[in-house]
Amino acid sequence: MTGFALRTTGLVRRFGDLRALDEVYLDIPYGQVVSLVGPSGCGKSTLLRCLTYLDPPDDGFIEVGGDWLGRERLSNGTIRRRSRRDIDRVRRKIGMVFQALNLWPHMSVLDNLSVAQRVALGRSEAEAESRARALLDRLRISEIADAFPGQISGGQQQRVAIARAMAMDPEILLFDEPTSALDPELVGEVLRLLKEFAQSGMTMLVVTHELAFARDVADRLLFMDRGRILADGPPQQVITQTRDRRVRDFFDKVTAFHPKFMQAAAETEDES
Amino acid sequence: MTLDPTVITDYWPLFVQGAFLTLRLAAIAFVGGMLIGAVCAALSLLNIGPVRAVITVYLALMRGIPFIVIVFLVHFGLPAFGMRTPAIVTGTVALTLFAGAYYVEIIRGAVEALPKGQWESARAIGMSPVAAARHVIVPQIISPSIPPIVNCTMTMIKESSVLSAITVSELTYQGLIVQGNTFAPFEVFITVALIYWAITMLFHMLAQAYDRRFGASTGRSSRMSPIAARYLSIDGKSGT
Repeated sequence: MTGFALRTTGLVRRFGDLRALDEVYLDIPYGQVVSLVGPSGCGKSTLLRCLTYLDPPDDGFIEVGGDWLGRERLSNGTIRRRSRRDIDRVRRKIGMVFQALNLWPHMSVLDNLSVAQRVALGRSEAEAESRARALLDRLRISEIADAFPGQISGGQQQRVAIARAMAMDPEILLFDEPTSALDPELVGEVLRLLKEFAQSGMTMLVVTHELAFARDVADRLLFMDRGRILADGPPQQVITQTRDRRVRDFFDKVTAFHPKFMQAAAETEDES
Repeated sequence: MTLDPTVITDYWPLFVQGAFLTLRLAAIAFVGGMLIGAVCAALSLLNIGPVRAVITVYLALMRGIPFIVIVFLVHFGLPAFGMRTPAIVTGTVALTLFAGAYYVEIIRGAVEALPKGQWESARAIGMSPVAAARHVIVPQIISPSIPPIVNCTMTMIKESSVLSAITVSELTYQGLIVQGNTFAPFEVFITVALIYWAITMLFHMLAQAYDRRFGASTGRSSRMSPIAARYLSIDGKSGT
């Protein structure tokens, strides 16, 4: 165990000449809630796709709970590509909640939560079902266990997607803009839910545009642009005190729409 | 004009033999074609360059050449390479390859029509490719594939009549024999037409029964809008 739920070393992903990820170094200790922001096209989604190995990185290393995902570096320095089976095994330690949720429409909610437990973790049907029901209870949606994804509301679908990822007992949960597909009144509900998880000690990496979430819930805020992490630190400090011009520009634009942040932004201007 | 029923009463064993051979040809071509369809669709979705190229050429040939020409090519081509196979064998092989090519396109199309996220979420959660295909992809393509597969199979059943041209003694061939003996083409081909119609209808009804049994719960009800689903479900659960 490295003590980190997730660690990346020099992660690179190229698309032709473009370096979508340009040597990303990231350590996330257990229990930390990290929020990742940045302008669109900055590499946030690419980073999540690399971390889930849907889009394997061209270079660099990923460790999940001390286990190498994809390529491993042995203690004597040699680098080895891991087998597909190993990749699938380590992948299970990362829970991903997609922006489009991608629930499986042909299965009941209960099956959405239990099928992967059975076929990928080898849990018995009873075991998988009781884990699924416990999660549905915890997310206060136990009444929809037998419904199909097409029959439930957007907010409920969001909870099912979260529960599906959590059912695998991952070391870390990744969220790709969890509130972007929701009605405004549901946004607060999902953010409260994430806050609850945060308080229960769940390790999370959340790509979000909700600065309120970043400020109130996250322990740490990362700002990314052009494939690099430009700022990393306690949210309030990153939002108000970063000097880098690109970071500054972004937060000035975003906070301009949020009255609560106006003051903070103004203070920074006074300082400079 | 008058119809002569003795054509049928005297020669019915030939019609029955022909009909059974047509059924057998169609059944083999259906099963073999679906196997080809599933395997080739899976292989071409894996996107391995050379494999995909071979499949593309196969599809282009089967879909770009008239079936009767394919049959002649196989039937007269194989002996040129020293392979002498009976007409029934070359005929069955040609029909299977022909149907298979269309099934490949149907299955591949149905998979490609699914949102990419379905596959990705199954893989990201840690399912192996086989498990993802079995639990997430295949159940979702069955219902949308049934109508085009039924269509294509009915065409294939009818195209099997072309095999009469290389002396495969299926229904049309037997019809030609009876006609040669009786000089009553109209009676003969009305009978042949009715038998073909009965065979294709039988297949159509089997497919509909299958769709009702297995298609409904895996597709339509779960793809309805939430409101439609709620109002159309009688037991409050719907689809199960």
